[in-house]
Amino acid sequence: MSKVDQLNTGRVGNVKILGRKILLSEFFVLYLTVFYLLVLFPFIPRVFSPYNIKNVLSNTWPLLVIAIGQTFVLITAGIDLSQTSVMALSSIFGAVIMTSEADPALLSKSPLWGIMLSDKGGLFAGTSAALPVGLLVMMAIGIMIGLINGFSVAKLRMPPFIVTLVSQMFFAAVAIWLSKSENIRHLPESFSRLGRGNFGPIPIALIIAVIIAVSAHLLMSRTLYGRRLYATGINPRAARISGVPTTKIIIAAYALSGFCAAVGGILYSARLEQGRPTLGNTLLLDIIGANVIGGISLAGGKGKVLWTVFGVVFFIFLSNTLNLLNLKFFVIDIVKGLVILLAAILDVVRSQLALRYSGGKV
Amino acid sequence: MKKILIFAIVAALIAPAVFANGGSDKADDGITIAFCFQDLETEFWVAGHSAITNTLEAQGIKVIEKNANEDANRQLEQVKDVIVQGVDGVIIIPQDGESAVTIAKECNSAGVPIGVFNRPPADKSADALVVVANNEAIAEQAVEYIAQEAMKLGRKVTPAIMVGDLGDPNAVGRRKGFYNVIDKYPDLWTGAPIEIPTKWDSNTALANLQSAMQANPDIDFLFTSSDFLYPVIKSVLAPLGKWQKIGDDSHILLAGLDGDKTACSLQKDGYVDATGVQDVYAEAQMLLDAMLAAIEKGEKTPNEWLYDDGFALTQANMGEREMDMWGCKILAGE
Repeated sequence: MSKVDQLNTGRVGNVKILGRKILLSEFFVLYLTVFYLLVLFPFIPRVFSPYNIKNVLSNTWPLLVIAIGQTFVLITAGIDLSQTSVMALSSIFGAVIMTSEADPALLSKSPLWGIMLSDKGGLFAGTSAALPVGLLVMMAIGIMIGLINGFSVAKLRMPPFIVTLVSQMFFAAVAIWLSKSENIRHLPESFSRLGRGNFGPIPIALIIAVIIAVSAHLLMSRTLYGRRLYATGINPRAARISGVPTTKIIIAAYALSGFCAAVGGILYSARLEQGRPTLGNTLLLDIIGANVIGGISLAGGKGKVLWTVFGVVFFIFLSNTLNLLNLKFFVIDIVKGLVILLAAILDVVRSQLALRYSGGKV
Repeated sequence: MKKILIFAIVAALIAPAVFANGGSDKADDGITIAFCFQDLETEFWVAGHSAITNTLEAQGIKVIEKNANEDANRQLEQVKDVIVQGVDGVIIIPQDGESAVTIAKECNSAGVPIGVFNRPPADKSADALVVVANNEAIAEQAVEYIAQEAMKLGRKVTPAIMVGDLGDPNAVGRRKGFYNVIDKYPDLWTGAPIEIPTKWDSNTALANLQSAMQANPDIDFLFTSSDFLYPVIKSVLAPLGKWQKIGDDSHILLAGLDGDKTACSLQKDGYVDATGVQDVYAEAQMLLDAMLAAIEKGEKTPNEWLYDDGFALTQANMGEREMDMWGCKILAGE
C-alpha cells in the first residue's frame, strides 16, 4: 500500500471515528438540531429571525416542563398518557377559583355552579389570594392524579399504559363535565403574565421552565432518589432485592409527572388566558415524541433532563420549520410521526453500537 | 469544552429572543394573507374557505393556509408562525370566541391586521375586522314562520332546540332568536322548549337528540342551530317514523340556520319548513374588502364589525328567494 493509500485509509478511518463519536455522543440531538437548521436556513432564512426564535422558545417552555415530567415516568419503564387530562382538569379548577366573572348562560349548568362558581366569579374572585390558591390547587390536582396513577402501577401492578389511558379518558371527561365544555375566561392579569409576561427582559415561562429543569436534573443526577429511579427502570426486581423501595420510587415518578403536567397546564392556560376543558388534547404526540427524539428510552433506565431539553427544542423547531414551509397540517403530522419513528429506531441502533464499542459492557 | 460549546449554542439561540422587541420581518413583495381556520367540518365552513381563498387568489394575492385541527393552542402557534413570515394580514376562523380574543391580541401586538370570519370574538377587547351574521334576527325570522305554521295546526306544539356550542356567540345569538319567538307566543307551546346540546359536534348531537326523543316523544317542532345537523336529525327521526314531509300527520316542523346545500335540498323536497340564511359569499367579500382596504391604508390594527342581515327562506317564499340562498346556488351547480 502506498503512502497516499495509507493516508486516505487513515482519513476515512478518522471520519468514521468522528461519525461514531457524534452518533454516540449524548449531545447528538443538539448537533442534529443545529445541522437541521443550517440545512434549512437557505430555504427559510426567517428561521433565525429574533421574532421567530422568540416564538419558538415561547412554544418550548410549556412543552419542556411537561416532557420533563414524562421523562421521570419513562425512566421507570412506564408511560404517562394522562398528562393531557391533568392539564385540562387543572386548567378548569384553576380557572374556577380565579375567574372574576362567569356567564350564567354558559356555566349555570355546571355542577360547580353555586358551590365554587357564580355570576360574580370563582371562589377567590378579585382577591389577592386568587392567584396563589389557584396555582396551588392546579398543582395539587396534578400531584393527586399522579399519585393515583403511581399507586395503580406500583402497588396494584397494573400496566402503566392501561392505567394512564383510563385516567386520561376519565379526567378529561370530568373536565368537560365540570365545565359543560365551556371555556372559563376573565382570569387575573397576574395569571396571564405567567404565560405571556416578562421579568425584566426574561420571559416568566422561561424562568419557571429553567427552575423545573434544573431541579429535575439535580434530582436525577445528584440524589439517592435519582439513582434509585434509574435502578428501578433498568431492573425493578434486582433493584427491589437490593433494597430499593421501588413502589415509592414509581409512585413519586408519576406524582412528579402529574405535577409537571399541571405546571405545563398553567403556562398553556395563562397564554390562552382561559381555562379550557380540552387543553392539551392533541399534545400527547408532542410530549412523548420529544422524549423519544431526545433519546429517553421507552424500555426504561435511560434518560437525562438535558436529553429531554434537546428533544423538545428539536421537536419545536421541527414543527416551526414545517409551518414556515407552509406544508399542509396532515403533511406536518406525517413528518412528525416519521421523525419520532426514526428517533426510536436510531435509539436502538445507538444502544447496539454503544454496546459493541464498549466491549459488551453496559 | 463540550459544556462550553453547548452553553454557547443555547445562549446564541436564547439571546435574540430575550432582547427582541417583537415584530416580523417582511421579505416578499406583493400582498400575502394567512388564512388560519379551525377545521372545515361543515358545508358552511367549506363554502367560506373556498370563497375566501378563491377571491384572494383571483386578485393575485398569495394565501398561506393553516388548519388548526380544532386545537385553539395550535391555532395560536400557527398565527405566530405566519406573523414571522411577514404576512400583510391574517384571517381566522377561530375555534371559539374566547380564543379569537387571544389570537387577535397577538396580531394587535405584532401590528398585523386580523379579520375574524363568521365566529366573532367573545368580547371587543382586541381590535379586529369581524364579519358576523345577525344570528338573532335570522333565527327569529325562521322561527316566526314556524310559529305561524304551528298556529294553523289548531293545537299546542312541543318545541325543541338543538343548541350549538354556547362558547360561540353564533350559537348564543341563534338560541336568543329562537326564544324571542317562543316568548312572543306563550300560549302556542305545551311548555318550555327542550334544549338539546350539540357542542357543534355530530356525535354529541346524535346522542342527545336520541335521548331527547326518548324522553319527549311528543316533540313536534325542532329548530337546529346549524344545518349541518340535518343528517343526524334524519337518522334519529326516520326510525321513529317522524321523518315525514310537510302535510303528513307525523311531520315534525323543522327549521335550521346556515342555508347550506343539504338544507336547500330538504326544503325543496318538503321535509324542512324554513331556513335562516347567512350569506357566506357576501360575508367573505365584506371581510376581504375591509381587510384589503386596511392593508392599502397601512392600518395595523383595524377595528370594525360588519354584519350580514341574512333572511329566512321559507316554504312560502321559495319561489322568489330560492337562489338567494348559497346552498341552493351550489345545489344548482352555480
